[in-house]
Amino acid sequence: MRSLSDEALLAGMGSGDPTAASAFVGRFQRRVFGMALSILRDRGAAEEAAQETFVRAWRHAVAYDSRRGSVAAWLLTIARNMSINMLPRRRPDPIDPDVLLALQAPAPARDDGPLTPVSEPIREALVRLPEEQRRALVLAVFYGFTAGEIAELDTVPLGTVKTRIRTALHKLRSDLGVSDEQ
Amino acid sequence: MSNEMSCEQVREVAAELAIGIADGQDRDAALRHAATCNECRGLVADLSGVVDDLLLLAPAHEPPVGFRSRTVNRLVERPPRRIRWRPVLAAAASFVLAIVVGSAAMYLASADERRLADSYRAVLAQGQGSFFVAAPLQGPDGTIGTVYGYQGSPSWLFATVRGPAAGTQRYQVRLTTKSGQQLTIGSATLGGTHNSWGAALPVGLIDVAELRLQADDGSGDLVAEINATDPWSSG
Repeated sequence: MRSLSDEALLAGMGSGDPTAASAFVGRFQRRVFGMALSILRDRGAAEEAAQETFVRAWRHAVAYDSRRGSVAAWLLTIARNMSINMLPRRRPDPIDPDVLLALQAPAPARDDGPLTPVSEPIREALVRLPEEQRRALVLAVFYGFTAGEIAELDTVPLGTVKTRIRTALHKLRSDLGVSDEQ
Repeated sequence: MSNEMSCEQVREVAAELAIGIADGQDRDAALRHAATCNECRGLVADLSGVVDDLLLLAPAHEPPVGFRSRTVNRLVERPPRRIRWRPVLAAAASFVLAIVVGSAAMYLASADERRLADSYRAVLAQGQGSFFVAAPLQGPDGTIGTVYGYQGSPSWLFATVRGPAAGTQRYQVRLTTKSGQQLTIGSATLGGTHNSWGAALPVGLIDVAELRLQADDGSGDLVAEINATDPWSSG
């Protein structure tokens, strides 16, 4: 199982193979649980969200479309949405300091198997962003905050928040070498 | 924001669109524009890829002891659920069905092909259309509804499900054309009291290969193979 690609392992799980499912959970559990814990900040709730994420993946593995992104991104999107849905309400300050610290640190050792590699260039590009842009982007991408919610949270004009999010994401796109030219 | 967006307006909301936090009105207008603009569609796709990369930066944490075995046990105990559908059709779908079923009933009752053809042509002539098609809508667990298509000006698609799941689900609606082009044409909400979805198409129905409703939460897609052929063409 160790040498199987993420896609192959997901396909095996989609066929209902418990062995493949176990290997899939083992490969992604730290990242799925980490995503849930970063948002929920409660280990019990994070375990529930992480388990439910794998249940969703198990039940819908056959619907995964590799043209739309990596298995890891697909799974982490499910984990993020599941965790946000489990939040009882918006936290007054939802940024978990560990999240930002981790984002700025080198990638930790990963689970067994060929996970989609973490992109160091995007980590570095994120760190280079002005703090207010990085905060707005993290709130939106990891916590699902809308521009209006961020504006209210940080008591800044809505237009300013929209500009920060737009500028930040376009800057990352540019830094990753994707040109605006078609 | 008006119903129609320029490239510049799409560029302003593309980041929020890619992240999934754009408001519904902006999202629908931007997606309609992107469906017919390669440059804006490419921008949104690029930014969505960046968002995917960002998610991979989420810090990893060791889960509690026994997490893996508890999770696998839960998976094995919960095989893929089959969605229960209520035999209720939306009013608009009923209208479409009335045309189709009514026409079929007339055919069976009278065996009068000319009357059927006349009725069919009259309906099509009203909207300057040329033909209808129907295709099964497939979910992860099998057929869950029907997609009706109309070749006209504009062409449109209308999907009905045989009854929604308990919770609502939001989908991004995507078309694949016969030439392989990917078009995003808006969003749809199904589940709860929402039994149907429909929209005018930025391309002719004759050019559509596949309709795909992509669940926002990454769960199962709903897919219909269209691949209509013009019944009036020779051969």
